[in-house]
This record gives sequence, C-alpha cells and structure tokens, in this order.
Amino acid sequence: MTDFLPIIAQVDSGALGISYLAIGPELILAFGAALILMVDVFYKPRHTVHAGIVFSTLVLATATAILQYDRVQEGATIHFSGMIVADDFAVFGKFLLLLVAALGLLVAWPMVEQLGRRGAEGVALVLLSAAGFMFMVAGANLMMVFLGLEIGSISLYILAGITRESVISDEAALKYFLLGSFASAIFVYGVALAYAGTGELSLSGIAAQLPATAIVLRPGVVLAAMALIITGLLFKVTAAPFHAWAPDVYQGSPAGIVGYMATAAKVAGFAALARILYVSFGSFADDWGPALAAVAAISVVLGTLMAIMQTDMRRLLAYSGVAHAGFILTGIVGGQLRAVWFYLAVYVVQLIAAFAVVSVIAGPTGSVSPLDDYKGLAKRSPYLAGALTVMLLALSGMPATAGFIGKLGVFTSAWGGGYEWLVVTGLVASVAGFFFYIRIMVLMYMQEPVLAEAPGADVAKPYVSPNVEVVLAIAIAITIFFGIYPTPLLNFLG
Amino acid sequence: MKFQILDALILTPIAAAVIIALVPNRRSELHLPLGITLSMIPLALAGWLFFAFEKGIAGYQFVHDSPWYEPWGMSWHVGVDGISLALIALTALLVPISLAASTAITDRTKLFVVFMLILEAGLIGVFVALDLILFFLFFEVVLVPMYFIIGVWGGERRIYAAYKFFIYTALGSALMLAGIIALAFFHRDQTGVLSFSYQELLNLELTDTAQLWLFGAFGLAFAIKVPIFPLHTWLPDAHVEAPTAGSVMLAGVLLKLGTYGFIRFNLGLFPDATIELIPVMATLAVIGIIYGAYVAIVQPDLKKLVAYSSVSHLGFIILGTFALTQAAVEGAVIQMVNHGITTGVLFLMVGMLYERRHTKKIADFGGIWQVAPWFSGVFLFTAFASIGLPGLNGFVGEFMVLMGSYATLPVAAIFGAFGVVLAAIYLLWAYERVFTGPITNEENRNVADLNAREVSLLAPLVALMLVIGLYPNIILDRLTPSVEAVLDRIEATTTYEVPDPGPLYEVLGGGHSD
Repeated sequence: MTDFLPIIAQVDSGALGISYLAIGPELILAFGAALILMVDVFYKPRHTVHAGIVFSTLVLATATAILQYDRVQEGATIHFSGMIVADDFAVFGKFLLLLVAALGLLVAWPMVEQLGRRGAEGVALVLLSAAGFMFMVAGANLMMVFLGLEIGSISLYILAGITRESVISDEAALKYFLLGSFASAIFVYGVALAYAGTGELSLSGIAAQLPATAIVLRPGVVLAAMALIITGLLFKVTAAPFHAWAPDVYQGSPAGIVGYMATAAKVAGFAALARILYVSFGSFADDWGPALAAVAAISVVLGTLMAIMQTDMRRLLAYSGVAHAGFILTGIVGGQLRAVWFYLAVYVVQLIAAFAVVSVIAGPTGSVSPLDDYKGLAKRSPYLAGALTVMLLALSGMPATAGFIGKLGVFTSAWGGGYEWLVVTGLVASVAGFFFYIRIMVLMYMQEPVLAEAPGADVAKPYVSPNVEVVLAIAIAITIFFGIYPTPLLNFLG
Repeated sequence: MKFQILDALILTPIAAAVIIALVPNRRSELHLPLGITLSMIPLALAGWLFFAFEKGIAGYQFVHDSPWYEPWGMSWHVGVDGISLALIALTALLVPISLAASTAITDRTKLFVVFMLILEAGLIGVFVALDLILFFLFFEVVLVPMYFIIGVWGGERRIYAAYKFFIYTALGSALMLAGIIALAFFHRDQTGVLSFSYQELLNLELTDTAQLWLFGAFGLAFAIKVPIFPLHTWLPDAHVEAPTAGSVMLAGVLLKLGTYGFIRFNLGLFPDATIELIPVMATLAVIGIIYGAYVAIVQPDLKKLVAYSSVSHLGFIILGTFALTQAAVEGAVIQMVNHGITTGVLFLMVGMLYERRHTKKIADFGGIWQVAPWFSGVFLFTAFASIGLPGLNGFVGEFMVLMGSYATLPVAAIFGAFGVVLAAIYLLWAYERVFTGPITNEENRNVADLNAREVSLLAPLVALMLVIGLYPNIILDRLTPSVEAVLDRIEATTTYEVPDPGPLYEVLGGGHSD
C-alpha cells in the first residue's frame, strides 16, 4: 500500500472528549432541518423563506467545516468516547457532502416548489441525510458508522417517494427501502460478527485485536465479518453484483432529487468503506484486496455493458454509475486514497450536473427519461446540450476534463498496488463506455428533435431555471479547470 | 515572464475558439471570416517558429518545462525539434485553408469553427508535448472535435463513420495509456520516482520482453491512427463522410499523429523491439502501399479514391520509418508534410467539384477541362506531385524513402516502388475519366472554373509543392540533426548499425554527416 496514511490508528481510542466542533457541521445541518420543519408547520411561509434557511445552514456548516479543517491540520483527534474522529479524511468527506447537498438542492429547487407544502419536508430530508452521511464518514466506531448510514439512507428512501402521486416513484421508494434495509441488515450482521471475533467495535480497536485473533480464535469469524461489512457498503455505492436496485430507483425517483440521492450515498459509502478497510482490516489486505479487485472488475465490465443497452437516460447513468463504482474501487484497492477522493469529488459534480439536465428534460418531478427526449437537444437548447456533452465526456474519462485525471489517478493507484490486470480491464471498459456516452451526443447533435403530436412548449425550448444554470456553470468550471490543472485539488487532498 | 511560443501556439487557437463562441448566433455570417482571421495568428506564430528554429541542433528548442503535478511526475513540458517543426507549420497552415474552404457549411457554423480551432490546438499540442501524459491528453482531445466535425457536418452515413472513427482510435489509445502508466512505474522502480517525462524515460533500461509489450501498446494506437493495414477500415468511411475541411485535417495532419508517434516514441523508447519488429512493420507497410493503391484504382468515387491513396502513401512513410537509415527516416518525415499538402489539395478540389455538381462519382464527370481549364490544371499538377514527379515535393519524399530503404530492406523497397507506378495509374486514370475527353453529361457544361477565393486558398499549397520539390533543404536542414539523434540512439542502445549512406546521398543534399 503505497502512500496511504493510516488515518486513526495512531490515535488513542479511549480518550473521552466532547468537542462540538468535531460534529459542528452535522449539528448545524440537523438544526437547520428541524428549523425548516418547525417554521413550515407554524408559519407556512413561501419557499423563499426555506431557501434562506437552507442557505444560511449550508453557509454555517461550511464555515464550521473550514474551522474543523484548520484544526485537523495539527493532527487527528478522537471525540465522544471514541465515536467520532476529526481528521483530514472526515473533513474531506464533509466538504464533499456539503457541496453535493448545495448543488443537489439547487437542482431540486424547482421540484421543491412544485411539491407545495411537502417541499419543506424534502429540503429537511436532504439536510438530515447529509448530516447522517457526515456521521458515517467521521465515524470511528462501527456503531457510529451504522447510525450514520441509517440516518442518511432512511432520509433517501423517503426522498425517492416524495411525489406520492406517482406510482413509479412509489415503486422506486419501496424497492429502495426493502433492498436498502436488507443491505443495512447485512452490514450490521457483519458488525456483530466483528464484535464476536475481536470484542471491539471501534475501528482502531478491531485493528489492534486482529493479530491476536488470527492466532487465538478462528479467523473465519473475522473474515465473515469483513465480507458482510464490505457487502453492505458495496450495496450502498452500487458496485456490481449489488447494483440491481440502482437503475429502477434512479429511473423512478423524482428527477430533481436523483442527483443528490445518487451522489451523497456514494461519497459516504466509499469513504466509510476505505476507512474500515484500511484502518480496521488493514492487516487483512491480502484477503480483501483480490476480492475487492474482482468486484471492481465486475462492476466496470458489467456496468459498461449494461449501460450500452439502455434506452432510458437515468438507467444509463445508473449503470455508468456501477462502472464508476468499479473505477473508484480500483483506486481503493491500489491504496492511494488521494486519487480516490479526487475521483469521487469530480465524479459527483459531473453526475449531479448530468442529472440536472435530466431534471430539466423530464420535468422536476418526472419519473422516466427516455433517450428519445434528447434527440436534437443541441438545436433546442445549445447550452443544455453543451453542458451535458462536457459532463458525458468527463464521465467517459476524456482528457482535458477532470474525469481523465480521476481515471489516471485510480489507474496509477492500482498499478502501483500491483493490480495491473485491473488497470487494463478498466481501460478497455473505458473505451467500451464511449459507446453509450457518444450515443447521447449523437442524439443531441446529429439527429432531429422528435416532434410531439401537439406542438407544445416542451419540445421547443426546455425551460432552464437559473438554479440549474448555476449548477451547470459550476460543474463545467470544475470539470474543465481540474481537468487541465488538477494540482490545487490534489494538493488539498493530501 | 518569458514569452513561450509553443504555449502561445496551443493557446491562441483556444482563445480564438472562445472569442468565436462569444459571437452571438444571430450574427452567424461573422463566424467563418472571424475564424479564418483569428487562425492567422497561430499561422504567423508557426511561421515565425519555423524560421527562428536554429538549424543544426538535434535537441529540443523553445522548451517550456514547468511542473504540473509533481507527485505523479507530470509536467507541462513542451519543445520542438526538427521532426515536429514542419508538422506544426503544416497544421497551422491547413486550418485557415480548411476554414476558407468551408463556405458550404451553413448549419451551426459557430460550432464548426470552434471545433476546428480546438482541433488545431490539440494537433499542435501532440507535436510539441514532451510529457507522455500531456501527449496522451492532446492525442485524445483531438478525437472529440473531429468526431463532431464528421458526425454533424458529414455526408449520409456520417453517424456510422463518426462512431467508427471514434471507437477505433479510442481503443488504440486506451492500451497506450496502460503502456504510459507502465513506463512511469518502470521509472519508479529504477529511480524511485514516478515520471512521465519523455526525456527521462529515454534513460530507462527495459528488458526485451517489456519493450515488445510496450511497443505493442504504443504501436497499436499509432497503427490505427496511421492507419496501417489491416487496421485501416475506419479511414475510407471517415474520409468519405467527413466534410471537406474534415477530410483535409484528417488526411493532412491527423494521420501523421500515428507516423509521428512511431518515430518519436516507438523508435525512441523501444529500440530493441523496433529492431526486432522491422520485418513485421516493413511487410505491413508494403502491403499497405500495394493494397491501398490497388483498391484506389477500382474506386468509383473520387473521394474514396483519394482516401485509399492515403493508405498507400502512408505505407511509404512507415516503410521509411522502419528502414532506419538517415535518408529513409528523413524521407518519411518529409513525406508526412508532402502528403499533408498534396492530399489536402486533392480533398479540397474534390470538395469544390462536389459543391459544383453534388456528386463525387467519377462516372458522372468527363471533359471538365473544357469548361474549367484552370481547375483541371491545378488538379493535374497536384496529381503529379502526389505521384512523385521529379521537381515536385512528392518525389523528394518517395525517392528518399525508397533509396534509404534499399540499403536495409531491399525487397520491401523494390515492392514499395511499385506503389509509385500504381499511384500514377489510379491518379492519372481518374484524371482522364474526370477531366479529359468529350463532355458526355450535359450538367458538366455549367461547371465553373476556380474563383478568386479558391485560387487564393489553393495557391499557398501549390507553391509549397514547388518549393519543397525544388529546395527540400528548407525542411531537411532543420530535420537532419534530429533524425541523426534518433538513429544514433538506436545505434547506441542496440547492436544495430545504420548503414553508410554513400555518395549519392550527398548529391541529394540530405545530409550534414560531418
């Protein structure tokens, strides 16, 4: 494992320390969510009031995260009886989740307005889930990770079905809930076995017990615990073969919120996965490494092949997400977590922006996005088509976009970790991936729009809300800038 | 801060693209003229670069090396030597000419001009990059604008052609990226740090097996780009379906990315593998020469004929590259430039014919010279240049390649020489059917002769055919030391010895072998 920093191993896990700064962003987000719900119940204000609360909540949370970043430069610390860790890793995760929440809410705002009174609940749920996922990335104890996972996931289940009227959306929510709970159960079973095997729940405690366990107890229990924990998290990040729920859920959920749903869970899932693997099970790397590499290869290949066959934009993005999960895992098995963070950071921005375009085409609460809707988009809205093209090129890993630097990073990581075959698999799959990314560009630029029976406004020029324009502009700027000059972000990440 | 001419060459087309993008769509008549005007800036820079380039120096000039991301060993490292110099100038020249030839494009001109300028930046970037990641970046970026140029403004089967072009070439470069990463890690194993710097990677000690694999990874990418038989099937589709400007840029410069890559990277980084694979590459080159020419002869479509003639001509370049003699490699480089000029003109003129008659079928024409004598004259002149008539540029390149190859690959050189004869057959026979004889099709009576715009955009290229044909030293003087350096390195690292060129070589003025 090349330049991996053992994140919390060196910290004394017994220290009891109350630090509100360590959970500052989480507290502020949870408070903001509660405030929105209360204000909504008592005053029934216009949505601009909610927007104001959300904005100040996010600004305050970001400010706290910056303070926290400043603090962790002096070294990682552990708080609340070994439950919460404040370190670089956690702060990166929080920054990223705040970014995702901010962009996701901007994209979702037209949906929030369409939902009327229920809109406030949607906003509160986004903030709550972000707080939960933050606990997950900052968890130093498997119980804490599980709690964070559940807070975040349950909020997402509800968000998937927030447009109650749509049957497809309800179906998506139910599927997400059932399969997601199943995965959580698997995860928690793994936690239980880890406790049975080592007598510890804290991440560094497990690591400390492992060498002893391997001799005294049967390591089978520990291996089973590891496998179950990894499986539970792989489900959340849509890695194959645990991805089957993603296309249905992405397709059925309200268009405005899919971007947030897809990205927030991935940020937290990958962060927790990387932390648990390297901190708790670092000494078992020879056991989980090849297995995870196999999962990465399957995800990349299967995700790409399935994406080629899709006829719905959102299912396509879901399967491309499976492939991307494989690429991120490629980086994780290699051990260079900086490359993984970079990949995640730019990928989530691209994905949210792509879903922003989807939400414009399908309507903020729309439930399906057939590819035919994208025919001739370049003539109807050159801006949308151009933005989506940049995002698709970045997702495909085209050089001069941040997607390429991300891929280069994870491939370098895997090559350095001795997984050359995984790099070659990933590269070949990237080329196959061009098939479907390019197909969308063909639809947008080289085919004529499908004319609806009634010459409605929908086909003419899609209405792009200023929010979406802002999100797309930010995403394009990030994608191109870090594609050409990735140095600042890479330096920031370690 | 020092003025970096190479940075400026990459950035000015991008800046021009941004400026054009800011011109609103309702003033669409401005996009093309503005694009042509702005593309004169990189042309002027390239012209200055060509003459400011110091002769007799083998190394890189105008180098700019600044760190990009040090932990991964990436840097913004650009420089120009004799091998890349002329190709940069060619690129900068062909862009304004292709734009000026694109008056037929009326749909979304803004996007078209923007893509052409991004293409230019990418192409120049490929030729100047001395960092492998930077090289790969430009090598890939070129695909996107070309893909759109073919797919949006192309002919009937444009979508199929664009798809095929993109996937084919992307597949090749994916494995090259694996090779690049592998090289960086070899560097780490031998020195302790990752590096993508071309000049540092030259110091690596690679085993024969590693060299063969890496040669394959790089070579496949370049072989698809060239294209070398049997990887050429994307080329006829892409060339035929692309709009005129696209064909000119494809044939003129894009194909050279492959041949340039072979000389720069395969010969430079993997000398042992190069020596070992000479028979394979030479055989494929000769097959390409003969096969391309034969297929060109039977084409009923003028544009397809020119496309297949490219397969044949590029075979000469590959043959010269792997003959590994001073004259042959120099001939290969100069032939890259020549092919860009002559094939560029042929595609431009086929495009002009198409604009007049809306057909490219040879059978639809006949007797054009009676109504358009100047047009026929320029076409014949270019055909002669392409065939390799002494005094014109094609002769210099093909003769140097054949003569240089004869020293090391006599059989291949003899078979390759048939390619010259076949070129005369397909080009002159096509000329005969299109331009001579009586006018059989009444529609051909109204074919207009060259107009002022067309004359002005063909004139510089036609002039260059004469200049290079009569005074090849304008390129050779700048080229020779760099080629010598490439061959010296192969001699130094392998048991191969570059044969003594002999006295005839001096007559050609090809060498400063002091």
